[in-house]
Amino acid sequence: MTSSTTSRASTIDPISASVIQGALQSIAVEMGYKLMRMSYSSIIRESEDFGAALTDAQGRQIAESMQSTPLQSGPIAGYVQNVLETLEARGDRVNPGDVILHNDPYGGASHGPDFAFLVPVFRDEQLVGFAATTAHHLDVGAQTPGSAGIVEAIDVYAEGLQFKAIKVRDRGVDNAAVWQILRDNVRAPKLVVGDMEAQIAACEIGAERFGALIDEHGRDRVEAAVDALMDHSEAMMRQAIAALPDGVYKAETKLDGFLDDPERRHYTLAVTLTVKGDEIHVDLTGTSPQCDDRPINMPYVGTTDIAIWLTLRSVLLDSAVHGIIPQNSGLTRPITIFAPKGCLANPSFPAPVIARFTGGNGLADTVMKALAQCAPQQVSAGIGNLKVIAFSGLTSGEHWVHMEIFEGAYGGRFGMDGMDAVDTLYANTRNNPIEDIESHLPLRVTRYELNEGVTGPGKWRGGFGSIRGFEFLADGGGSVEGEGHEFRPWGFQGGGQGGTASLTSISPEGRASSLPSKVPYRAAKKGETFVATGPAGGGYGNPFERDPQAVLDDVLDGLLSAEQARADYGVVIASGALDAAATDAARKGAA
Amino acid sequence: MKLIGVDVGGTFTDLVLVETESGESTVHKVPTTPHDPSEGVLTGVSELCELAGVSPAAVDHVLHGTTTATNAVLEHDGAVTGLITNEGFRDVLHIGRHQRPQHYSIRQEIPWQDRPLVKRRHRKTVGGRIAPPGVELAPLDEAAVATAARELAEAGVEAIAICFLFSYLDPSHEARAKAIVEAEAPGVFVTTSSTVSPQFREFERFTTTAMNAFIGPKVRDYVSRLESRLSEAGFAADLHIMGSNGGAATARMVSELPVLTLLSGPAAGIIGGAWAGALSGRSNLITFDVGGTSADIGIVREGAFAEASARDTSIAGFPVLAPMIDIHTIGAGGGSIAHVDAAGGFKVGPRSAGAVPGPAAYGRGGTQPTVTDANVALGRLDPRAFLGGAMSLDVEASRRVVGELAEQLGMSLEETADGILAVVNANMANAVRSRTVQKGLDPRAFSLMAFGGGGPLQAVDVAAILGIPEVIVPPAPGITSAVGLTATDMKYDLVRTAFVTSADADAGALEALLAEMQAELASRLAADGFAPDEMRFERAGDLRYVGQGYELRCAFPGAALDAPAMQAIFADFTAQHRREYGRVNDTPIEIVNVRVRGVGAMPVLEKPAPPAGGSLEAAHLHDAEIAFRTGGAMTRMTTPVYRRDRLPLDTVIEGPALITQKDTTSMLRPGDSLVADAGGNLLIRVAQKG
Repeated sequence: MTSSTTSRASTIDPISASVIQGALQSIAVEMGYKLMRMSYSSIIRESEDFGAALTDAQGRQIAESMQSTPLQSGPIAGYVQNVLETLEARGDRVNPGDVILHNDPYGGASHGPDFAFLVPVFRDEQLVGFAATTAHHLDVGAQTPGSAGIVEAIDVYAEGLQFKAIKVRDRGVDNAAVWQILRDNVRAPKLVVGDMEAQIAACEIGAERFGALIDEHGRDRVEAAVDALMDHSEAMMRQAIAALPDGVYKAETKLDGFLDDPERRHYTLAVTLTVKGDEIHVDLTGTSPQCDDRPINMPYVGTTDIAIWLTLRSVLLDSAVHGIIPQNSGLTRPITIFAPKGCLANPSFPAPVIARFTGGNGLADTVMKALAQCAPQQVSAGIGNLKVIAFSGLTSGEHWVHMEIFEGAYGGRFGMDGMDAVDTLYANTRNNPIEDIESHLPLRVTRYELNEGVTGPGKWRGGFGSIRGFEFLADGGGSVEGEGHEFRPWGFQGGGQGGTASLTSISPEGRASSLPSKVPYRAAKKGETFVATGPAGGGYGNPFERDPQAVLDDVLDGLLSAEQARADYGVVIASGALDAAATDAARKGAA
Repeated sequence: MKLIGVDVGGTFTDLVLVETESGESTVHKVPTTPHDPSEGVLTGVSELCELAGVSPAAVDHVLHGTTTATNAVLEHDGAVTGLITNEGFRDVLHIGRHQRPQHYSIRQEIPWQDRPLVKRRHRKTVGGRIAPPGVELAPLDEAAVATAARELAEAGVEAIAICFLFSYLDPSHEARAKAIVEAEAPGVFVTTSSTVSPQFREFERFTTTAMNAFIGPKVRDYVSRLESRLSEAGFAADLHIMGSNGGAATARMVSELPVLTLLSGPAAGIIGGAWAGALSGRSNLITFDVGGTSADIGIVREGAFAEASARDTSIAGFPVLAPMIDIHTIGAGGGSIAHVDAAGGFKVGPRSAGAVPGPAAYGRGGTQPTVTDANVALGRLDPRAFLGGAMSLDVEASRRVVGELAEQLGMSLEETADGILAVVNANMANAVRSRTVQKGLDPRAFSLMAFGGGGPLQAVDVAAILGIPEVIVPPAPGITSAVGLTATDMKYDLVRTAFVTSADADAGALEALLAEMQAELASRLAADGFAPDEMRFERAGDLRYVGQGYELRCAFPGAALDAPAMQAIFADFTAQHRREYGRVNDTPIEIVNVRVRGVGAMPVLEKPAPPAGGSLEAAHLHDAEIAFRTGGAMTRMTTPVYRRDRLPLDTVIEGPALITQKDTTSMLRPGDSLVADAGGNLLIRVAQKG
């Protein structure tokens, strides 16, 4: 699907290529490092929901920052390519001194809050590449405060401002009007604009270094090194695919959708994965039609493609096994994707998309479920999906918005239990320190622990989810986008299913009410608490084959009860010790 | 005064005895005894005294760089550790920041989940809660603390970390809990998060505290064993231990806060480098310490070293909130292996041949080409003079393994060997850039201080890539860390989270806080025997624009804070922000943490007498044929090999040349030139590109 021009890799020796590649990588790392340090909002600086990358003149990704989250750096190539097409269609072009803003959901961004800034690099009046950053902004002028948990928008216009290849700086001259429009139309403009300025500053540093690298080595040699880098990544991916048995592997996942809305609940993601030689084709036929008037659709470019690439790459070129393999456009060359137009994973404009985050992570999990059939020792069992809550309020006439991502958990793995309470798959953000939240916001964290007793049993069990509570210390509001309240993460090879997530609101008077996985903005009174329980991962392998000592450890650690050990694992524990004979008997009895 | 510096490394324990008034020194090296390093230390110091003709009783101070704490963490070999924390927050240590260490991996391990410092069964929760700005929401449940302590002691726990939310605002719950635990569980090592690192970010602070407990008993026992061994051997000297902050601390202090010593060894190296630079009047240095598997890079500006940002310090994958010298370590050294990967990419490191089997040239069974083999193949390590003739080199083995790689690449042997060095040098140069160019510092304003066994061999190439005009090779490049130990002062750090902004900062209140911290440090230094005129205090703060999440370190003036001083601090922050990020904002500035460092001045190490100096003829060993890149091609050139200890002073020697000594080889390319100066250093002028 990626059309590549003739590779110039053969015109450079491997040593020079290695030297130039190391320099490109360190430029991308510096961009990410500085963006994170300069930015204001916690979604960027703590959660690390941002991306930084260098691309060539055609928008092919050359190098990405190591800190950034995959769902942000991965799409950068798509943004740049769409900016180039948009400008050309408009009869415009990229000029030296431009800074370009782009957040077109159907043009690479895949949802409006992820603003990209692009700074072009020119040498001898030729465009040679871009330094680009993306970041999730706190507020983009949608109908309710924040840029997460907007689950009721009826089309992309309701989701906030759209910028399609807008030059906020044109040949060195700032476009003051655009900045004023931004300030006038977003809540918390100081934070949002400050973060945008940080993005631009990081791009400028990247562009300067990229240009200096070209001056040092010459454009031809840098381009040849870039080609060699992409060819190398492509070759690694082809080798990994070739090691899989040829075949057709299918998987399906059910999504909650809107559980409290009979017309918009339960969606299906369907994946047919065909391995042939050193190539993979992924077909999403069978996926539910798009939801015309609720924003859970996943634009093909920027969400669907990234979710698929990310999963294939993490399973087939797992960095814990293969070491660091440069992330660039070469990795995706052996992979083709078909998503029927008009389905949830390839919606048509102007279907709303702003809450596509958890669906995309569900798609990533579905791809892994298909892949499990041909690479069983490289996958994990079913992964628990995520949840984002946007907390907001007004303090002395100014908006505060705080977005918190609630972690999932991984399924069991061959030889290893699942990871507990972490961000999953294409998301890899960080939580906010409790001591930062309570020092700066009218919120109190009431609890943050593992959710005991709930996991997918297995020879290698699923990871445990978390329980986290947030209390409002002043009147405010919250909105929620999440998944996984109804369907449990899949077990694998005899392992049990994981656990669902849930969300409870507790009123100031102590009345608890259960909330669905998607909640449009609702006001919250001082003293109200949201308690989010995360999902637990699926189990891998027959739990009755689990090492009894590992079961005992979970009991001693208070993660499982002795009753669960007996029922789910056939392990008998009395007074904190293993009863080996009774365990043998229980396990034989079950066989 | 007589000082002994002892640096315990993985293979060797390096020792130096210096006479501070004359600057005279005696050096020694003994094998490290990994099962109990104090044995090797004792053998070493006793032999050293004999070599120097000094009675053990006459030694005033023993300064020690130790890897005991570091190894306990790296090998995950510490105490059975317990935790007492707030109700509702049992798993802060386990969930961490909920981020996976690797983006693209299903099969990764998470250090704090797969190798927990405290198992969940030993994590107890109790009632009690502090909240900002320091109010008590719920009183400490003292009975629950006592029960937890008893249960942990019964479970065989040897160390207990007490970690409560917001204890940096009000440490009283932790202090009270500690007293209860000490009463209920006598003999257990107890530590609190407000003592270890009273600053915000609970996961990082709790982890640091748990690590302190985890390594506590081991370090405490090691230190006390070493103290008693020294005393049995007739030493009356105080034992001081090097901290990661670049200062020494008393043995007692380190027994309580071993987490402060995690980067003891590399920190001493930077101080040794700074001391050697001063011998030649150089105060702006990039220290470049290249060993077998890694290279450590540090920055010295105006004689002072940079400290790492608290958010960038970690060990074995665990975050550590403790003051550490900013040392950037990369996996590139003499043993780094060059290879072509499965998809045809050319790589050098991070895999290393280590000490065993080591490079092919060492003849210990190494079969893969390393950086050292590339140097041997090009003739840059001379088999007739390697380590002053102390070790032989198998040149044919090096040529064979590099030749095999050359065949794979379809290149000549010399081009391949040069390519290996080009890649490793470029990696090292990128590492230096990350600490200079990326921080707004121009590397051309620095000298590259090269030490470790491999530093002086790669230094001119790395300097030339970066435009650095001068390379310095110190007198004893192989024992720079041991020398650094004898050149350090006692240093204690205190930090408090302040959270005040440029809009509401009250200079008086801040001054009161700083004065209180200073008084605490003064009494600590007084207890160590320092007179008031031997104490010095340095104040600093961690500042950011309100809303940012990362801070920049700003030095505060020594005098009492007032409004103009505050303005100067904010102006300094603005200037730093511009230098590092290229821009400034017009929003308020927040002082997140304030810091005071108390320094107890140790005896000043005088410059040693200038070396006797020899002549070029006396120093000239023989000529070697060495390949250099000249024009675009590799050319073999006749290159003189000199003995360092016979070089004439202040005589210009033009490259190409090799200078050999017992612990390293220094290289000059054609165009470079060198003088041996009266300070004892080799000063190399680096020929620049173009």
